Amino acid sequence: MNWIPWLLAGWLFFVGIYGVISSRNYVHLVGCLAVVQSSTYVLLLSVGYRQGAGPPIFFHIPPGRAVDPVVQALVLTDIVVGATISALLLALALQVHKVKGTLDPDQLRPLRR
Amino acid sequence: MRRYRRLALFAIAMLGILPCMIGLFAHMPRFGEHPLPYGDAINLNGVRQRHVTNMVTAVNFDYRGVDTLGEEIMLIAATVGAVMLLRGSRGEELSARPGRAPGRPIAWRSTGQVLIARLMAPLILLFGLNIIIHPQLTPGGGFQGGVIVASAALLIWLGDGYRPWRRLMRSRPIEVAEAIGAAIYALCGFAPMVVGAAFLQNVLPLGKTGALISGGLILLINAGVGIAVACGFALLFIEFLQETRAEEEPDPEEREA
Amino acid sequence: MSVLLALLYVIVAGTGAGVVFSREPRRQVLAIAANGLALTLLFTALQAPDVAFSELVVGTAATPLLFVVVLASMRTDQKKESKHDVGGGGRPADSKGVSRCRPARLI
Repeated sequence: MNWIPWLLAGWLFFVGIYGVISSRNYVHLVGCLAVVQSSTYVLLLSVGYRQGAGPPIFFHIPPGRAVDPVVQALVLTDIVVGATISALLLALALQVHKVKGTLDPDQLRPLRR
Repeated sequence: MRRYRRLALFAIAMLGILPCMIGLFAHMPRFGEHPLPYGDAINLNGVRQRHVTNMVTAVNFDYRGVDTLGEEIMLIAATVGAVMLLRGSRGEELSARPGRAPGRPIAWRSTGQVLIARLMAPLILLFGLNIIIHPQLTPGGGFQGGVIVASAALLIWLGDGYRPWRRLMRSRPIEVAEAIGAAIYALCGFAPMVVGAAFLQNVLPLGKTGALISGGLILLINAGVGIAVACGFALLFIEFLQETRAEEEPDPEEREA
Repeated sequence: MSVLLALLYVIVAGTGAGVVFSREPRRQVLAIAANGLALTLLFTALQAPDVAFSELVVGTAATPLLFVVVLASMRTDQKKESKHDVGGGGRPADSKGVSRCRPARLI
């Protein structure tokens, strides 16, 4: 029961990498990359959790025992930037589709020369 | 590398990594009882030092403001890259007519859809602006609110169509606004150096804890981030949606000639 | 750890696997949105409202939209190519000018 967060982070990470490796469509690959990114968010937030503590917002309560704000700051910007990176990868996939007509990684080999 | 070779390599790597992972999990502290000295220090001292009540914002824009500046630049770089890729190969021959997929008719917009989009777009815009302006007090900030504002503008496309939406969103002002947002952040870093303080040090008056105007430089930085993120996502939406447009038909006179 | 938190962890594991094992991209878009929603609930339960906000807006609204638009422009791309190559293609239109077809299956 205590290992569930770390197991989940590992599961998401390896399932995402398996998806990237065995993908037959570049758009599907970008989605699997998003899953890999989300595994790091889960890991960071689970490290910063405090049993029985509230969020680090002290608007109505005096400053005291709360969850770690540092990891939350890391993850917050990471999520938005991760979406932009996914957009960049999707633009690349679109270009590949325009030039080659296919999105299959196995059919898109680099040039031999 | 062929597919089965990739999968074989993955299986071998998993066999090696899994024991290390299990060993690592056995040594980690219990869930919910990790030692968090940095977090505790900020939780106890942040309200007094910076006069803000949202510790995540204080860490994001003040204590670790340089990291957020790096993330902001990453966002700009990714947006510029995507926009360059899409514009570079598109050319000038796209019209505003929707592209047709083989065998699928273009669906009409229902009146209810148009009405709801027209009603909700200003409300969501207001909500997004609300989220942008008060990160020092309650959860929110430029990153979240910026994406909400970009989505609110997108509701006009959903309700009214491509042409009215493009008439509202011109690429050039949005690009300039995004650059201005990032520049605000960088200038807020250099301005304290003018008066002798460190880069991104909070030199503005901090105000009263709990008031809307508090936190000093955090407000300015947050405004810059909100503008940059909103315009960056709007630009991405514009470029991606422009890809779905059809090519322009050649003129009838040319076709007959 | 409470039961709610453990349940949310298991749900996120399920949606994450769902994203990877939906091979068809049009089906994967819905799985991505569901994954975003499950992650939002998990982050809220982990006492992180800022992060949950971010994930909700990005993972449920912006990212699936980008995926859907990319897939749509790829389908219209095919039409441009087939127009140049074949000069026919698609179904014949009926008298009203609207081509009859089955609506595309999304799931």
